[in-house]
Amino acid sequence: MAELRGTTNGPVLTRWFGTDDLHRIDVYERLGGYVALRKAITTMTPDQIVQEIKDSGLRGRGGADFSTGVKWSLMPKESAVPMHLVVNADESEPGSAKDRYLMENSPHMLLEGVGIAAYAIRSHQAWIYIRGEYDLPFARLTAGIEEMRAKGYLGPKPFGADWELDIRIFRGHGAYICGEEGALLESLEGKRAQPRAWKPPYPAQKGAWGRPTTVNNVETISTVPFIIDRGAAEYAKFGTEKAKGTRMFTVSGHVQRPGNYEMEIGKTYRDLIEGLAGGALPGRTIKCWWPGGSSSPVMPGDLLDTTTDLDGIKNLANLKDHPAPPLNMGGRGFATMGGSGGVIVMDDTFCAVKAAHRLLQFYAHESCGKCTPCRVGGNWAVRAYDAILSGNGGPQEIKILERVQEGLQGGRCLCGLGDAAGWVIASSLTHYRNEYEEHALHNVCSAEKVGMAANA
Amino acid sequence: MPDVNLTIDGRPVAVPAGTLVVEAAKKLGVEIPVFCYHHKLDYVGACRLCVVEISPGPPIARIACGTPVSEGMVVKTQTSLAVEARADVLEFELVNHPLDCPVCDKGGECPLQDFTFRHGYPTSRIDGPRLHFKKPIPLSDKIALDRERCVLCYRCTRYYDEVAWEQELTVGERGVESFITSQFDRPLQSNFSGNIIDLCPVGALTSRVWRFESRPWDMTSSATICSRCAVGCSVTQWQRRGQLVRVTSRENDDIDEGWICDRGRFDYTDVNDPSRLRTPSVRGSRSSWADAIAELAAGIKGKGSRLGISLPQDITNEEAHLFRALLDGPLKSARVSMQGRTAIPAPSGAATMRIKEIDDARVIVVVASDIEDDVPIVDLRVKKAVGKRGAKLIVIHPDGVDLDRHPGVLHIRNAPGSAAAEVRKLASHEWLQNPGGLVAVLFGDGRGSEDAADLAVACAELAEKVGGKRMPLYRATNERGALALGVAGSDKLDGVEALLIWGPPPSTGIPPSVRFLAAWDHLPRPDYANAAVLLPATTFAERQGTYSNLEGTVQFLRPPIAVPSPLKEGWEVLSELGAALGVTLDYAGISPIQREIAGRVPELAALAHPPDPNPEPRRVLVGPAHP
Repeated sequence: MAELRGTTNGPVLTRWFGTDDLHRIDVYERLGGYVALRKAITTMTPDQIVQEIKDSGLRGRGGADFSTGVKWSLMPKESAVPMHLVVNADESEPGSAKDRYLMENSPHMLLEGVGIAAYAIRSHQAWIYIRGEYDLPFARLTAGIEEMRAKGYLGPKPFGADWELDIRIFRGHGAYICGEEGALLESLEGKRAQPRAWKPPYPAQKGAWGRPTTVNNVETISTVPFIIDRGAAEYAKFGTEKAKGTRMFTVSGHVQRPGNYEMEIGKTYRDLIEGLAGGALPGRTIKCWWPGGSSSPVMPGDLLDTTTDLDGIKNLANLKDHPAPPLNMGGRGFATMGGSGGVIVMDDTFCAVKAAHRLLQFYAHESCGKCTPCRVGGNWAVRAYDAILSGNGGPQEIKILERVQEGLQGGRCLCGLGDAAGWVIASSLTHYRNEYEEHALHNVCSAEKVGMAANA
Repeated sequence: MPDVNLTIDGRPVAVPAGTLVVEAAKKLGVEIPVFCYHHKLDYVGACRLCVVEISPGPPIARIACGTPVSEGMVVKTQTSLAVEARADVLEFELVNHPLDCPVCDKGGECPLQDFTFRHGYPTSRIDGPRLHFKKPIPLSDKIALDRERCVLCYRCTRYYDEVAWEQELTVGERGVESFITSQFDRPLQSNFSGNIIDLCPVGALTSRVWRFESRPWDMTSSATICSRCAVGCSVTQWQRRGQLVRVTSRENDDIDEGWICDRGRFDYTDVNDPSRLRTPSVRGSRSSWADAIAELAAGIKGKGSRLGISLPQDITNEEAHLFRALLDGPLKSARVSMQGRTAIPAPSGAATMRIKEIDDARVIVVVASDIEDDVPIVDLRVKKAVGKRGAKLIVIHPDGVDLDRHPGVLHIRNAPGSAAAEVRKLASHEWLQNPGGLVAVLFGDGRGSEDAADLAVACAELAEKVGGKRMPLYRATNERGALALGVAGSDKLDGVEALLIWGPPPSTGIPPSVRFLAAWDHLPRPDYANAAVLLPATTFAERQGTYSNLEGTVQFLRPPIAVPSPLKEGWEVLSELGAALGVTLDYAGISPIQREIAGRVPELAALAHPPDPNPEPRRVLVGPAHP
């Protein structure tokens, strides 16, 4: 597997990256690893850890941005049945590869975080649900668990504390939907991966095998050792007043240095795309970009000054003089969202309709088939795109796309997959309506012409 | 628990806490269309058709089937958001749905048609190619699957999983290519498979027995009782031009909860057999009723114990009563054998348990019976109590049984004949020390391998010791009624000179000693080759009368088909036979017989209160057109 490029010696997550053999436990410990786990389970109570995480302001990095400390505090303090920590390592979002970067380079940071988190929620069995295609991360984590076990950090009485822990790995079988919390738990239980009906009950009440469960993202858990080691205040120094810390971003597409970058929250996407990733390819201009994986609504290229703060990015004012797409999140409009931090950049040589078509193919293919709008709507939209791009389309196809995007959003689907498909259509159709109309009405692709000129 | 108050479309309603919005709306008569929701299954939130707007809460589409009511909730079903969202879902469902309504069995009673008419967009914008699947696919020799018509509501797979505890039905592929399939494409084996036909909200699952037989509006139906076993499930029988064309389930929460077994659903085609007996015959040649009955009376009169009488498992209480009168008079000391009955004695002492009480049991003990075979729908009740309500289950049976599918079952494998001893040991079992509620003791007769009388005593003792109730699992349809009326004989028929067969011939065959054979049956059979008298019988779809089911509930048959002339009701034939034998059994109709029975037999007092022959039709707002 190709080596991933990205930040080394960043402020939090990547602070030791670049060190040779960081994935080995002796290297990791020499740099200061497992200090936090030892500290947590020998000197702190679970409630103290939860409070520390709450104080740090750490929020879920899978995209939902929910306070991690609050999530942990929802777990029951006593339970007649076992409780579980489940790490969501099913990173399938197009444009996102940050979890892979973390797990490949520093598996022990995740495993140490798992130990602390499991202790904090009083769980004795933690699961890592890892995407089936991730071979190297799987190998590194498996080896890491063996190293932990050999050192006595796993199993009965790690560090002599009166507590025990086991970490297990479950490999997914290649479905995007398994990244959805409910579907992940269903899959973990050995069932068909489909989202669960409705919340409540939340996983903290009834999760894996009907037991209290906390599900966290890889990046979230990997941040925990830093917070416990250095203290909540140290972590809270990064970021803005409301959005603390740093984030991993994956930049892909038409930029000079695609890769994974750790950046303080609150900086702008211009800092990321033009700064860390080197900006557009020579002679090209950035046409549009997706801030948080393909599920986030697309943004025009002149809006790079948008903040990376996950609350601020939703603000409709970010769109400046662009029209607001008919997006719906919980009944409210929004500009776009930070999602999982997978930034996709596209320059002016590529057609927005073709990009949306490709993404819709992905969402239609990955629809689990449980709820009607997503199962049928995604596929219907793909057929409309097929017609438009093959020159057989007309105004009718654009009307179908408008109807389908509305039918997918705003609570009409069971989970976020359908909403995401709707957002792709809604945002691209609003920002690049001229390209849709050129294709549908005149069978012309202006981006293609730009591309041919650029390559000439 | 006090009721929760909410308003739906401005109308206030109070419902118990925990009720789902869709059910509260049903109470008001407000239609919220659903495909995936079914009140007997856990909600799944898949079809998204039941969306409404609910405040408090964000202004988004919310599913009425997955939202429990709360105090002060305001539900609006007619906002533009909700109306459009429902129409959108219906449009989505129709994108790939074939336009074969004119040849679809569901057409005319199809929720997809009805909902599209009432909630969908008035015009179609779908003109592209549709997805195609190979169709129809036989799921078994009884059920056909049309994947193109399927709306993937998952009712069938959920039913199989939750209610029937079977793993035979599942979903293949994903996304728009998802399809329902039987596990490894093997035919469905379950005895409860037919219920998925009733559950299916479209024409995807159809009965191969009924397929292309008739249109729904071409049939008349009648709410009656299944005659296949002692459970006595409520069914709807549908007739067209004197033919019984379909049997569907009919919800009765006291007994069947809307499920019937495949025997009850598919085993009816003998009613329409073209070779059915239509006229009486004497020694192979047609005769009048009067001649045939005179011949019969002459053949069986004064035979004493040299006369054998074989009675069917589904003899009605009325026929049984008349037989009792004959056996007390001219046919005294005849040997009587009731087909299909168990060896379980008539219930005595404390009242036996009702089927619906199984729901509340904390521990269920099933002795000497594979209840999937013996009393199928009771099997589903036990599965519900164990699977959904957390009851503990103990099975005492020498072999593997259907209930072993549950991992928590305690199966005590006894040597055949020793079930009573195992039951006596059970009283000290830890599960029965503080059961925390009702203990249900269900016992059969091991199909002859157990001493049923001793087992009944042992089970009664156990029930008394642990504060439980017992339920004897009779098998023959009206065994309990026949026991009450004293005609449930189990005499050996060997050596009899004359034999009167009422209903199908005895499973042991006709004894070679028989010199005079008479039968009242609806089909000609090889056994009757040498019959002296052959009388044409009515079937369960034509006869009137009552059955007492295994819990003792008296239920009235309401046949969909009128008795075709020159056939006569069984009780008419028996009263004419009585006259020919010199005993007066003269009744003006079936009601005087029922009143007479009610006055004489306390257990059957309910016979005096027949239900309203024309009940108010129930409004069906949610779910399949027939309930």
